[in-house]
Amino acid sequence: METVTHYTAYRPRPFRREEREKVTILFGGLTWKHERLVQGALHNLNYKAEPLPNVSRADLDVGKELIDVGACCPTIFTTGNLISFLKSKVQDHGRDYVVDRYAFLTAGACGPCRFGQYHESYTMALDGLGLRDFRLFLLDQNQLDQGAANGGGLEINLPFTAGIIWAILCGDLLTDLEYMTRPYEVHPGETERVLRDSVEYLYEVFRNRPIRGKKWRVLAWHLLSDYFTGALRRVKKMWETIEVDRLQPKPKVKITGEFWLQTHEGDGNYNIKRWLEQEGAEIIPPPIAVWLDYLLRSNIQKLEDKREVDKRAGRKVALVRTLQRVYRGTYNRLRRALGNLPYELPNQDELRRLAAPYFHNRLAGGEGDMLVGKALYAYHHKKAHMICELSPYSCMPNTMSIGAMANVLGQYPDLLYAPIEIKGDAEVHALSRCQMILTEAKKRVQQEFDEALAKTGLTIEAIRRYEERHPELRRATYRVPHRGYPGTATNYVIHIAERMGKM
Amino acid sequence: MPIPILERWFVRRPSVDRPPEKDRSHIRVGIPRVLNMWSTHQFWIGFLKALGIQYIVFSSETSEEQYREFGKGRGTVDCCYPVKCMSGHYGELIFGQKKKIDILLSPMIYSLPSFLRGHVVDTVACPRVMAAPENIKSGFLKEGDVFAQQGITYVSPFVSLGQPYLVPKQLYQSLKDVLDLDEEETREAVKAGYEALERFNRKMRAQSRQILTWCAQENRPCIMVLARPYHMDSGIGHEIEVNVQTHGYPILWVQYFPIDDDLMDWLFGQEIRAGRIRSAFDISDVWTSSYSSNTNEILWGAKVAARCPWITCVIRLSSYECGMDQPTYTPTQKIVEATGTLYFKFGDLDATKPTGSIKIREETIVHYVEKYSHQIIRRKRALLPEPCPLL
Repeated sequence: METVTHYTAYRPRPFRREEREKVTILFGGLTWKHERLVQGALHNLNYKAEPLPNVSRADLDVGKELIDVGACCPTIFTTGNLISFLKSKVQDHGRDYVVDRYAFLTAGACGPCRFGQYHESYTMALDGLGLRDFRLFLLDQNQLDQGAANGGGLEINLPFTAGIIWAILCGDLLTDLEYMTRPYEVHPGETERVLRDSVEYLYEVFRNRPIRGKKWRVLAWHLLSDYFTGALRRVKKMWETIEVDRLQPKPKVKITGEFWLQTHEGDGNYNIKRWLEQEGAEIIPPPIAVWLDYLLRSNIQKLEDKREVDKRAGRKVALVRTLQRVYRGTYNRLRRALGNLPYELPNQDELRRLAAPYFHNRLAGGEGDMLVGKALYAYHHKKAHMICELSPYSCMPNTMSIGAMANVLGQYPDLLYAPIEIKGDAEVHALSRCQMILTEAKKRVQQEFDEALAKTGLTIEAIRRYEERHPELRRATYRVPHRGYPGTATNYVIHIAERMGKM
Repeated sequence: MPIPILERWFVRRPSVDRPPEKDRSHIRVGIPRVLNMWSTHQFWIGFLKALGIQYIVFSSETSEEQYREFGKGRGTVDCCYPVKCMSGHYGELIFGQKKKIDILLSPMIYSLPSFLRGHVVDTVACPRVMAAPENIKSGFLKEGDVFAQQGITYVSPFVSLGQPYLVPKQLYQSLKDVLDLDEEETREAVKAGYEALERFNRKMRAQSRQILTWCAQENRPCIMVLARPYHMDSGIGHEIEVNVQTHGYPILWVQYFPIDDDLMDWLFGQEIRAGRIRSAFDISDVWTSSYSSNTNEILWGAKVAARCPWITCVIRLSSYECGMDQPTYTPTQKIVEATGTLYFKFGDLDATKPTGSIKIREETIVHYVEKYSHQIIRRKRALLPEPCPLL
């Protein structure tokens, strides 16, 4: 009988325990801050780990060359990014060195969206580059403890996962501080300097993290210890040195959208966050913590569906709800250590309720009902003047919720919503679309600011004189309470009026 | 003499009169003929008929005229044509019926009852396909509730057809007020729906087996179409396979390929016994992210086509901007071509039928099938054990 070699999918070679000291684990897809802290958590577990360089425009072309046509831009960018790095290393050290000394760890297994299939593109590109024996591993974002990967070199256990989660939470909190401070800094570049110092300090905190116990004791230690809260209190002190001037009415722009594009800071989304700041806006960045909270909510919803057919479903719902409370409690505990300056996580039940008339909560893939929910949350709670929603061109799930937003806008015509479709190579078009909505947001913030001055009877000069007597007001770490306006400057005026007894 | 137990006594003598059968024969239900309705329509017909609904109207097959007449101005976002064209289907059901419908039923099908279920990670629908009704309805609500203005009740149940134990509750909760349902009759109707779907699928697979048997006995080639169910719609798939069939080559669709034990064992038995796969429906050797139902079936179909001797050619259909198909292009082609089976892809299908270029491609396909089929059959036949269950 004749034989044939059938096509087979990529399977990584084993990564053995004894290789851990010589193999560098590559990872990426977050901001440089998150990645540096994750690196600290991995170094702490004696892994050699290195984030990939930030995505650049050139990565788009590299990615396009090697994967099937029609991929979404996050797939093309991240594939190109990995391949560019590997190519440069092959050039420097040769092919064999690269396949022996590097492995790539990425998130996967999210279900129907293309995000769960990124690795197919990576492996196709590796094939194209002649690096099929390069090792690529998937981290299932739904499981805390996945055991040892093939060969035992990579153990995705609780110390590993807890380290990554805490690094992500701290990265989110720092990102909030960064974006709420930089637009108002008096001395340009000060925020950037303190931010870098904070990240390096926290990197050391993660690198020196004591590992107490093995499984659940590790989690209990992370939850109960004051190791991270103490470190964040020290970070707060570092930020106290930054002087800010909040009397600048700037439109607040909430960033939402597809996970990679909304998180990314760089060419992958036309550097749109920095661009918006340069255009005079204050950004509300999207914390990764919200995504993790959404994953818990999704699990609860799936279990709720099974209540009548699975006797244990009710108990499981209660368990995941408790886990969600603990998770949110942990985030708030870390926020408190930073003086409650970073934004609180939106309540997932409220997001679900707000989105319900427009988008079913069980529709999976991408951000699900969160795009609609977040836009309405910001609108009803007056958290932002404008929503800038970043989605890749041809994003499967997000195009559907953007379509559903047409109905939302029909009912709330004053909601400023800028859905920006990102291809990676159409910057002017995307930014000009955003600019149009931003112009309206600028008008609104100026109007609310002028109204606040009129309402309180204050003048900018009077507030400046008051600030001179109370210099703590000009510290970046002074918390201005939300007084029902989206704008920071407006809330500041109202707050000063309250302090002066004028309201 | 047996003593009737209390339970039996209650069964024989109900304390209250049974409620009269609910008459739903006058209700007209309109269903858009789109997306995964193409593989689940028999479920919906069986379900609604079991509830006593006689008038079930499906919109026509997709066409540019349909969109122009009924869907124009209703679109909310640019996306793949199989989803975008739904506005025309909605519009036709609302405005294009001689006798008005009472209910527009457009289910959000989360998962599918695929024959691969249990052998793959999941059988979920494409995220765009499952959410399409939410997107399309907003085009009929953004400037006023068109459904209400036309006296139509719009209902869009979220339904996990891949998990039958969840379906009665899901359909009861979303349809109880619209159809005055009770839980028991919903459960029975769901059961009837699944039975109808199973009957239909069995019949279609039996017909495919007849075709395949004829090919085996006559030593004639046939062509397999690897596509999503909605490519059967003449406005989406542009009847490419129909045109090829006119040259005398029978067409098999992956969704209805026969899955009888003898045939599966013949095609995959050696690999199962060698430990390369767990079953004939295991696709983990070629596709590890086996979440998406239609994607899984396409990958499985590619494996079948690579092995079955009389399938000498595969036609792959894919719509413009299909994010589910995109990562599968190369693997599918490599799977099929591993045994020398011919592979032709029509990607980026959109609203307009590119008649000229399709015609040229058809001629190419026919030329190659004619020229190489006997060679391909002979080579692939030599890879499989004797006896062949089709002969």
